[in-house]
Amino acid sequence: MWKVYKYTLIDLARNKFVGGWLLLLLAITAGLFQLEDQPVKAMLSLSQVLLALVPLVSCIFAIVYLYDALEFTELLAVQPLHRSKILGGQLLALSTALALGALLGAGLPLLIFFPGGASLTLALACFMLTLVFTAIGALIAIKNREKARGVGLGLVIWFLFVLVYDAVLLWIMFAFSDYPIEPWIVPLAALDPIDLGRIMVLLKVDLAAMMGYSGAIYEKFFGNLRGILVAMAALAAWVAVPSAVAFKAFRKKDF
Amino acid sequence: MRLARPLRPLAALLAVAWATGPLAAKTWTVGPAAPNGKLAAAVASAAPKDTIRVLQGTYAEGTVRINKPLTILGTGMPLIDGRGEGDVLEITASDVTIRGLRITGTKISNINDNAGIKVIAADRVQLTGNQLLRCFFAIHLSKARNPLIEGNTITGDPALPESQRANGVHLWQCTGASIINNTITDHRDGIYFEFVTDSHINGNTSLRNNRYGLHFMFSNRDSYAHNLFQHNGAGVAVMYSKEVDMRHNSFISNRGASAYGILFKEINDVTIDSNRFTDNTTAMLVDGCNRMEAKGNEFRSNGWAVRLFSNATACNFSANTFAGNTFDLATNGNPVYNTFNGNYWDRYQGYDLDRNGTGDVPFRPLSLFAMVNERMPYAVVLSRSLLTSLMDQAERLIPSMTPEGLADDKPLMRPPHGKSHL
Amino acid sequence: MARVIFENTGKQYGAMWALRGLHARFEPGETVSVIGPNGSGKTTLIKCLLGLVHPSTGSIQVNGQPVNGDPAYRHQVGHMPQISRFPNELKIGQLIDLMDDIRSSGMDRAQGPLVKELGVDAMMDKRLGTLSGGQRQKVSAVLAFRYAPTVLVLDEPTAGLDPLSAELLLAAVRDIKRSGCTVLITSHLMEEVEALADRVAYLQEGRLQFLLSPEEITGATGLQRLSKAIPALLTRNAKAHVESV
Repeated sequence: MWKVYKYTLIDLARNKFVGGWLLLLLAITAGLFQLEDQPVKAMLSLSQVLLALVPLVSCIFAIVYLYDALEFTELLAVQPLHRSKILGGQLLALSTALALGALLGAGLPLLIFFPGGASLTLALACFMLTLVFTAIGALIAIKNREKARGVGLGLVIWFLFVLVYDAVLLWIMFAFSDYPIEPWIVPLAALDPIDLGRIMVLLKVDLAAMMGYSGAIYEKFFGNLRGILVAMAALAAWVAVPSAVAFKAFRKKDF
Repeated sequence: MRLARPLRPLAALLAVAWATGPLAAKTWTVGPAAPNGKLAAAVASAAPKDTIRVLQGTYAEGTVRINKPLTILGTGMPLIDGRGEGDVLEITASDVTIRGLRITGTKISNINDNAGIKVIAADRVQLTGNQLLRCFFAIHLSKARNPLIEGNTITGDPALPESQRANGVHLWQCTGASIINNTITDHRDGIYFEFVTDSHINGNTSLRNNRYGLHFMFSNRDSYAHNLFQHNGAGVAVMYSKEVDMRHNSFISNRGASAYGILFKEINDVTIDSNRFTDNTTAMLVDGCNRMEAKGNEFRSNGWAVRLFSNATACNFSANTFAGNTFDLATNGNPVYNTFNGNYWDRYQGYDLDRNGTGDVPFRPLSLFAMVNERMPYAVVLSRSLLTSLMDQAERLIPSMTPEGLADDKPLMRPPHGKSHL
Repeated sequence: MARVIFENTGKQYGAMWALRGLHARFEPGETVSVIGPNGSGKTTLIKCLLGLVHPSTGSIQVNGQPVNGDPAYRHQVGHMPQISRFPNELKIGQLIDLMDDIRSSGMDRAQGPLVKELGVDAMMDKRLGTLSGGQRQKVSAVLAFRYAPTVLVLDEPTAGLDPLSAELLLAAVRDIKRSGCTVLITSHLMEEVEALADRVAYLQEGRLQFLLSPEEITGATGLQRLSKAIPALLTRNAKAHVESV
């Protein structure tokens, strides 16, 4: 696995897109902090941009890269290697490259311009979302033969998580506002990885508002570090489940 | 000396009187070497206007009643222990000064307002530089005029539940009080005023009190400046009062379902100027207030910066900074008779083509999401999502649900307070 | 024992059988040419053998080891795909290093069959993304022959190669066959088939129509050229089939 990992990473290190992603994030981060008079405002704007952009880019890049590497993957598959090691190496290399891009492009400058727990949490959320959406992208690439279809599906899934799911959630809140649905809202939000990342950041920057609830589940959940740990665990599950399905599909895949 | 017989040797031993003239005030000294009853005995012995020096040591004498104008000065913070019998010091005479004592041992009671220092119907009492430890009420004044309460450290017991706590500084029907540079922690209310007029509260620190850091009702013409209220269970509550002046106070980290940086209820003619509100669930709640000038305040990183009820009128917000709040403004209706003018809003996305420092298009501080959230408080989990941003953007472009008149026509492009990392 | 054994091997995609009921045994030192029209199942057969496609029915054994089990059997297998694409940013040398790594061959980059002959040694520092189709085929050929395979699978190996390189490649096939390697080769060039094949496997609509030596084919039809003899044989078989029905 480490051999595949190493050479995939060498390939990715020279990939123009990975470098471009890093530079784009650097430009956005530095630009926002230069432009905004209030660092906290820059940080909040950045969190919105990153929480949308990181999943999109991770997912689409993973899909495109794996499609483009299909013949090479085939070449690896006829070598005396277990398939799980091939995908393991590729997935890990993709995650490493994209996560490094996110952490160096956004995480590090964030901590420089706006040191503190909020930036650290946002960097952590970006890191986890990179892993989640790389895994989802890999799953899509393995399950679908056509590149255009795969990319389209990636976009649909991203759109679902970044906007549609929240709209449905809001609709549920309206529709069932006469029922005791309060305890269900946070668990429902946890079904969307982007929401999880966002809630992690909220727990740092909007804790005061979060504490404005008598609902027991909120107090329990929003108990500061505990909430972040719970969100991290849920995000880890969001990495594990698509990865597991991807490995299973890859093992059974016909090239 | 006219002392009761059993006390005579004691007085001879410990209470040294200097006579500088037949009618001049004397100074008595009370030391720890002899058995109980020394302080009470000295008080009984002293004539009005005398001074009693209390040397370092422990004086566990139960309630000590001071019924004549005396100055009692502690040396090396002597400990006065009320042994849980009721009050510790009970002052019923004017012109009493208590300085440099450590006071403890009140009785927790549901019936009596037992206090470390209780002042009843006395004028010009001065309580300075004392420490009050784990008292029920710490300092309790009723019907007192022109008292000075300065530099006291008042520490409750953090382990006690609210039902066994009482207020740190409690004033009822007082006037002309000065409450300066005290620190009050772990009581029920830090400072409590009821029917207190023409008073000044300056430079106090009120921390971790499990109800209000400052709580006042029916108290007119009072001013509050340079105080810090932090981590109190419900923040600060100001009710049924008028002509209140609050400046340069800090309201920090008062968080919880019903916690407020400051809660205004039925307040008229208020000036609230240059205060700092940081990290509160609701920084300022305005309920049924008239004629409030809120200017130059900083609202940073609060859940709700201002919650303005529609029963408020003529509340004017200007030159305030709103930054990093989850919601800048919330309301339960249409608070049209109030104005926002020339504030800095970090959510403002307008431009300043004429370079006059104020934006060329108005800012609407009440967002659609804030209104949704009023109906369904749990919707807060969606804050800062793409969905709610789009909702708010759309509402700002084509206002349809938020009140038309509620806008800041001259939003500042830069905060009047400059940069801050808070 | 046969080198490669297909036992009732079949592959179904949806409702369509790309390969069905294949029984065949390939011996050491034998070169088998797999031919047939487009969509006849050639690629599926090869991919099943390589473990790229999981058969729906039956089994395949290479050197006595089942194909769908331990991937270790692939130490014995060399493969040259019809089209190769490699990671754009890797250099040829790095790709060869990676493969050497996977195979634990301990070889030097410049060693091995065809490396010098095809001029790959001079291109070690070229990035794979900059290669022409022919150059990629050369790299593919080098990798296929590199680890002394006992089963070599070549999919249209000369397509895209210049005539000289094609000749070198065919010479290498003859060499490796002589060392006892079983070679499976698909080609649309009948000259290549004639020149190399010990037996010809003809597939149509997923079925093996025949598996005969060129001599048997020409003998049965009386036609000297395979390109003529094969269609004739097929027509005859079809007629026989119709008559038997």
